[in-house]
Amino acid sequence: MPGIDECLLEAMRLPGALGAAVVDWTSGLALGTVGDAPGGDHETTAAEAAELARLAAEHRAFAPDEEEGTGWDGQDPPVEDLIVSNRDTYHLLRFVRTTFDSSVFLHLWLTRTDGNLALARIRLGEMAGRLVLG
Amino acid sequence: MTAIGTPPPPLPVRRKPNGGAQAPADLTSPADLTSPADLTSPTDLTSSAGRPEPAAPVGAVTPAPSPAVPPGLSPMLNRLAAERATGVLLREHGRLYLVDGRIMHAESPETPGLDVLLTMGGLLDTEFWREAVAQAGARRRVGRFLVDSGRVSEGALELCHVGALFDAAYFVLGPSSAPARFRYGAVHWLGPVRPVPVAALERETLRRRALLHRIWPDPATDSAPLVRADAPAEPPVPARQGAVLGQVNGARTAADISRALGRPAFHTLVDLRRLAAAGLVRTAPAAAPPQTSPRRPSIAHGPDGLDGPDGPDASVSALLTEPSADPDVSLLRRLRDALEAL
Repeated sequence: MPGIDECLLEAMRLPGALGAAVVDWTSGLALGTVGDAPGGDHETTAAEAAELARLAAEHRAFAPDEEEGTGWDGQDPPVEDLIVSNRDTYHLLRFVRTTFDSSVFLHLWLTRTDGNLALARIRLGEMAGRLVLG
Repeated sequence: MTAIGTPPPPLPVRRKPNGGAQAPADLTSPADLTSPADLTSPTDLTSSAGRPEPAAPVGAVTPAPSPAVPPGLSPMLNRLAAERATGVLLREHGRLYLVDGRIMHAESPETPGLDVLLTMGGLLDTEFWREAVAQAGARRRVGRFLVDSGRVSEGALELCHVGALFDAAYFVLGPSSAPARFRYGAVHWLGPVRPVPVAALERETLRRRALLHRIWPDPATDSAPLVRADAPAEPPVPARQGAVLGQVNGARTAADISRALGRPAFHTLVDLRRLAAAGLVRTAPAAAPPQTSPRRPSIAHGPDGLDGPDGPDASVSALLTEPSADPDVSLLRRLRDALEAL
């Protein structure tokens, strides 16, 4: 059963990983960090990534179709993950579904030269599940 | 935990810590609290001597409160961190538990405790929580017990607990008008989960204040009973804010709403400030007496049930307090409120 640190260290073993964090997107709090962050500042990065995650989670445009009807209790974010790319790195944000009320995501920062976005996306999704379910 | 609405678990924390060299007795004398080297710092001493904990710089000879220093954060806490103290810091709005100068646990009546957060979502039932506290509380290993039981994963407990710790600490480190005390040796029954350095906690608390201020500068929605404002055309509200809005009933405060939703209270404050900024929530018109001015002209078309502040120019005031279907007027009204709150 991994804790936050084990989960982040596992994420860091992905090819090209530069840094990883668990962030709360309502408050912008970094619950745990490992490796590097853009500008060397994990806390600022967490607050900025939280803003992006919040917009994605809150805006209807990014929600799946079935959300229009009933049956969605609003507890889970409608978005699974977010990908941001720039000239040299990728940012991958993966929302974590929990059985208690929360607004948490995993943030992985990886280089474009070594990173494999498809692999990272799959693995980060698995880690998000294991983090909460054990 | 004691002040929380759900049936409180037993509180083994009140038991004396296993006999050590450090006396668990409450500190009433400053000399108990500080090593002799610290006695040169008069501002620190006042915190334990029955005066409100000042926001004055540590080590200042004259205790002149300086507004430049971040208000409300605790010089006492910094010193306890430096001396790697173990015990509990009791402040007006809750407690911080330290082990070796790091924060292990925080609780505040303003925000739901870990028990509420874990049971509301259905992860645990109250029965099991009680059993865990009963079985492992005396050993101060409740957290470990929950994980070992297989009912809660380590990751889930850490996520929930660290979130709750920063959440409660935000309120504990809020402005206070009562003396703070530190009880050496007291250890929380939850046991270690994921300790947080004091410096990180203080940085985060200041960042959170700035965040709230940036969203909407008026802190009124943080503590007062709330009502839904009559918005002419209610814009779509994101799901988590919608859950908060659904709890607004004219009587509940942010703390009540957090308990009802099983949600950390700082999250509720954020959502309420956003809702207030959108003009969807405001504080309930309390039984506050209207500020009646002697020069008040009789206005026949005064709004029913609204105690608007009647200033010298009552016609403008009446226009601004009247519930209006015109979005421009409600915007102006909110703008005015925001400017007044600055």
